[in-house]
Amino acid sequence: MKEAGFAEVRIGCMVDVFSGSAHESDAKDFDTRGIVFSAVKPGGR
Amino acid sequence: MTEAYAPAPVDVERLRAEVKLKYREVASDPTKGFHFHTGRPLARMLDYPMDVVDALPDRVVESFAGVNNPFSMGELQAGQVVVDIGSGAGFDSILAVQMVGRSGKVIGVDMTPEMREKSRSNAAQLGMDNVEFRDGLAEDLPVADSSVDVVISNGVINLCPDKLRVYREIYRVLKPGGKIQIADVVVQKPLPDDAVADIDLWTG
Repeated sequence: MKEAGFAEVRIGCMVDVFSGSAHESDAKDFDTRGIVFSAVKPGGR
Repeated sequence: MTEAYAPAPVDVERLRAEVKLKYREVASDPTKGFHFHTGRPLARMLDYPMDVVDALPDRVVESFAGVNNPFSMGELQAGQVVVDIGSGAGFDSILAVQMVGRSGKVIGVDMTPEMREKSRSNAAQLGMDNVEFRDGLAEDLPVADSSVDVVISNGVINLCPDKLRVYREIYRVLKPGGKIQIADVVVQKPLPDDAVADIDLWTG
């Protein structure tokens, strides 16, 4: 994201979102998680 | 020393075709059983406000297939222009409309025709006329330069092999000072090269 020009990158919570789904095995193999983050296009304030 | 960026080595057209097939099923048969959760149970798992979610018709929520909650990084403000990349059946877009109000606007972008059709029908059912759903790709958004306050997305950019191109495209459409609030997936174990090139693993 920084290479694209974004700043103020913040990372929120991480969730084991695939656990218990009908076909979760591949996600489990690679320890896959759902994350959320934000960032800002500089300028304009 | 950081490694030079390179897009993932997959057949992009084949990947897009497979993703469209998968999400056509999510639109038409959301309870079929996928490698991801869907609908209200997923919204509850991701800490969406269930009083708001429960007020929505089943058809609006049932095809929701996100991986986290973009709104957990900040509430949208009245009057903002918002783009939802990979808007699916419109669940996050419709929540965004409720936050930006009548003075704001939401543009959903999705490449799967069945999802766009369902999202338009869902918004119409709710009487929302300040949301529109456009055909397009994350890598080539049908949105004007520097015209957007917030870009949201949920579980979509992981399906794009060239992520730097996607983020540069998001940067193009955002106003200076504009914000992204993105939910996506990460893998915490190294992926072997053959797994990266395996389209079946991309789409589950």
